[in-house]
Amino acid sequence: MLRENQRRFKFDWITIIIFLLLVAFGYVNILSASHVGEITNYFDMGQPYGKQTVFIGLTFILIILILSFEAKFYERFASIIYIVAILSLLGLFIFGKDVNGARSWYGIGSMTIQPSEFAKFATALAVAKYISDLQTNMETLKDQIRVAAIIFTPALLILLQNDAGSTIVYLAFFFVFYREGLQQVYLIVALALIILAVLSLKYGLIVTSVIASIILLVRYFLRKKKRASLIQYILVLIISIGFAYGVKLFYEHGLKPHQQNRISLWLRLEKDPAKLERMKKAEAYNLIQSEQAISSGGTYGKGFLQGTRTTGKFVPEQHTDYIFSTVGEEWGFLGSSFVVILFVALIVRILYLAESQKSQFSRVYGYGVASILFVHFTINTGMVMGLIPTVGIPLPFFSYGGSGLWGFTILLFIFIKLDSNKINEW
Amino acid sequence: MATTETNILNRLYFVSGSLFVFALAVVFKLCSIQFIQGDAYRELAEKRTVKDFEIPANRGNVYSADGSLLATSIPKYDVGIDPVTSSNKNFETYIRPLCDSLEAFTGKSASSFQNKLRKARETDNQYVLLARDLSYSDFIRFREFPLLNLGAIRGGFVFSQKTKREHPMGRIAERSIGYEKIDENGYATRVGIDGAFGIKYLRGENGKRLKQKIGNGQWKPIADFNQIEPKDGYDVYTTIDVNIQDIAHHSLLGQLEKYEADHGCVVVMDVKTGEIKAISNLGRNKNGFYYERLNYAVGESHEPGSTFKVMAVMAALEDKVIDTSTIVDTKNGIKYFYGRTISDSHRGGYGKISAAKALEVSSNIGLATIIDDNYSSSPNKFLDKLNKWRLDQPLGVSIIGEGKPDIAKPGASNWSKNALPSMAYGYNLTLTPLQTLAFYNAIANNGELIKPRFIKAVKSFDKDIEVFEKEVLVDNICSDKTLLEIQDILKNIVIRGTGQRMYSETFSMAGKTGTARTDYANFEEWKKDKKYVSSFAGYFPADNPKYSCIVVIHEPSTEVGYYGADVSGPVFKRIAQKIYTDTPIIEEVQSLDFKNNIVNEDFGNYNDMANKYKQLMPYVVGMPAMDAIALLENLQVNVNVKLNGSGVVRKQSIDKHQKLKPNQTIVLEAS
Repeated sequence: MLRENQRRFKFDWITIIIFLLLVAFGYVNILSASHVGEITNYFDMGQPYGKQTVFIGLTFILIILILSFEAKFYERFASIIYIVAILSLLGLFIFGKDVNGARSWYGIGSMTIQPSEFAKFATALAVAKYISDLQTNMETLKDQIRVAAIIFTPALLILLQNDAGSTIVYLAFFFVFYREGLQQVYLIVALALIILAVLSLKYGLIVTSVIASIILLVRYFLRKKKRASLIQYILVLIISIGFAYGVKLFYEHGLKPHQQNRISLWLRLEKDPAKLERMKKAEAYNLIQSEQAISSGGTYGKGFLQGTRTTGKFVPEQHTDYIFSTVGEEWGFLGSSFVVILFVALIVRILYLAESQKSQFSRVYGYGVASILFVHFTINTGMVMGLIPTVGIPLPFFSYGGSGLWGFTILLFIFIKLDSNKINEW
Repeated sequence: MATTETNILNRLYFVSGSLFVFALAVVFKLCSIQFIQGDAYRELAEKRTVKDFEIPANRGNVYSADGSLLATSIPKYDVGIDPVTSSNKNFETYIRPLCDSLEAFTGKSASSFQNKLRKARETDNQYVLLARDLSYSDFIRFREFPLLNLGAIRGGFVFSQKTKREHPMGRIAERSIGYEKIDENGYATRVGIDGAFGIKYLRGENGKRLKQKIGNGQWKPIADFNQIEPKDGYDVYTTIDVNIQDIAHHSLLGQLEKYEADHGCVVVMDVKTGEIKAISNLGRNKNGFYYERLNYAVGESHEPGSTFKVMAVMAALEDKVIDTSTIVDTKNGIKYFYGRTISDSHRGGYGKISAAKALEVSSNIGLATIIDDNYSSSPNKFLDKLNKWRLDQPLGVSIIGEGKPDIAKPGASNWSKNALPSMAYGYNLTLTPLQTLAFYNAIANNGELIKPRFIKAVKSFDKDIEVFEKEVLVDNICSDKTLLEIQDILKNIVIRGTGQRMYSETFSMAGKTGTARTDYANFEEWKKDKKYVSSFAGYFPADNPKYSCIVVIHEPSTEVGYYGADVSGPVFKRIAQKIYTDTPIIEEVQSLDFKNNIVNEDFGNYNDMANKYKQLMPYVVGMPAMDAIALLENLQVNVNVKLNGSGVVRKQSIDKHQKLKPNQTIVLEAS
């Protein structure tokens, strides 16, 4: 009896407490960011905070549901869940509803559901399932391509639905693959490509080519093994320059003007002050407002419902993607730091739990959860404070929205369930 | 590469390391935003979030005594276009029709508008002014023009509203009605009544509304009420009579034009109340046109010349050093005073004349002699009189910038032996026209010196906020005897003295002419270009005067004329004449319970009879039927009265003096 009880409640309470703190603090900030006038009814379905009250209520039912399934269920049905998710994404092309130019919603009555939020955990399950297969070896190209296909299928579908932000999240799985044995070279190549892209945009093709040549030349003369020939190095150089050129071309012709402007602002590419001003007005408005809101909070913040910029509705989308600026204004540096600490603690805790898993499925899934949360957290807070270009993705557990909250809750609690089952794994 | 234990650990370190690095970056950025850039940023942000918006109060109106609008505020609009904001398609579709509309409205060619707008669009110029100071109806018209009717964002329609002060009466009395202008630096220019009463009454108090920025230049009110409600300014009712003002303005203007004078003023004052009925100040500009430039009547203190002789004679009469018949020797028109000649304008002089005559003919020598003979040993005695009449100090009128009088005093730099005789005929001292007028008004008002008044009342709608009453400065300027004597002389001046040419048989006036030299400091210069000030001060009608009036005209062209009687007198006469032909004569009803003789008589009869015939039948034939019935029914005996017909009783069924029995019926035939 005792064993049975122990097993049933052997959930990782630290994770759950962090989760609860995030949701509660998020709710408080959604109240601030979305209320108009007095808050009279917390269940007012005409107001975002009212809806969020209901969403959070339903979340607990969802949690009980998730935890009541057998842990093995998720591993067994991972593929099916994944296929359902892909189908739901495909269905958007036919049944989807346009919101703010992105076709990523199903409309059911007055409610909307965003399947891409649910596709994340489905993909994480599928990746875990594939990698944990005994046949799979992440060091082989064949498996690398297959795993890439698993993550890029939903990513591509989401990209086609004009939701570039959510697509980037799928790059999170790179961390998972890396942990599971993806070669170091991918990491180096990825880093090199990012550097090349930034260089070519910021300093132009010639400077980029020169720098690339110098680095490769040095590398060539300092090489220990004489395995690679000069021709190979030259080939790498040509590919690098080609890539840099491609990036420039893509930046100039492939991107939409607003995306171009965001990158231009981030890398400070525009020199003409008049144009820059216009660009700032058009693109950096959110960012400037959000930075001002955060900065106006000071050390201790202005207090709950006291933020003038929050109640004044200066920051567009403040209750969704820009919720962090509310924290900054009303709760100050202490509040913001608290949120950062909560997220870091949550991610570290998940990584720790993942490493302690006996089953590879659970471990890979745990890594997936941590990576997705990490990417969301970094991109969102970075965007709100101008560390990185504007990419519209929500802050997990914090931002307003049912789909997002439920998606992350399912993502996290499947892992908590898996984790609770580790004593049964041998 | 084998997935060894250490390798995995390294990878784990790498993953958590990059997580740590990024978390650090977030915290670092947080610090940077909240602490390093924080303060400057914060201040900026706070300043911009919530702002008090001023709600301007409506400025009160200025009305004339009869309620005509003299100054009021009306909204005006400046309209412009941002030629950059509209789409190419809209711009190209609507630019021609827009420019055609602009041509129709302004009269300027459509093509010039088109060039201007196209150029502005090319050069990214985001504002082109299309029209200024539009009335509301024109503004509405503009708003419907092609392209502009697409609104601010799609059409680039830009406008600003402002309030402009307008004078519906035009230039008439413009300077006295005045204005209050506040420039960008907050420096205010205040002129006339509008200026003087601006702060206290007209301006009102601006309200405040707290608004919060909601982004992109949009502000929304924080509450649905104003933090401070604007309080509209009060209306000021002036004493100005529009009709008299109109007469005064045009008479003065005509005379100024005729004499090509530099400037002039005229003031008409109500004798009993001190209310200024008209005030007109006209100055000539470079092109020879006259318009209200400065408030000369109130602000310009100058040597009055002969109009001051009245004060001099009055002082001497009041001090009883002369009487009107005292003989003065004016010689042959030239007399030496302390090494200086004083001459009369009449060639050959007047010889020995009475003091009264000296004033009538305006003899400089006569006046100088009177004053010098009697006061040279004690000039302060003379000056005390002037001080008693308050001629040494400003009147303290409500209009800003009243000129200060300046009277020479013994011991002062402008004092000499000659000062006193000069003062006798109006030199060596300065007064404003309004001061001179106030003094003449006191003569007309039987010795009571009252302060000239421009304002009757301050009202908020129909509620009186403040009512201004007559303000007496000096109860009695002189004895009745002196008063009567001086009134007589002033009357005679118009009949047979220097004002003779103004005489009219149809209405009477009293007053004194004045012709003073001005700008004579360099006498040689002056002789080349003789400059005079011609004036006339007085009142009308001569007996029981109703209005006092002063006309001062500076620097008339000497080729046309310069004597007070010729230059200023006609303005005075015209005003007097016009007022008397234009102002309807109103018979004043003394009391509302007037007595109607017929009714009175009837009642008397009735009363007598009622007392006499208590039991006898009275004779009621010839009485109004109603009276007869009342009489009969009120007898001591109860009778029934039957009336056939109506009107006056013609026949009664019972003869008079018959003894009446109770309940007897009396039949009256009336027709």
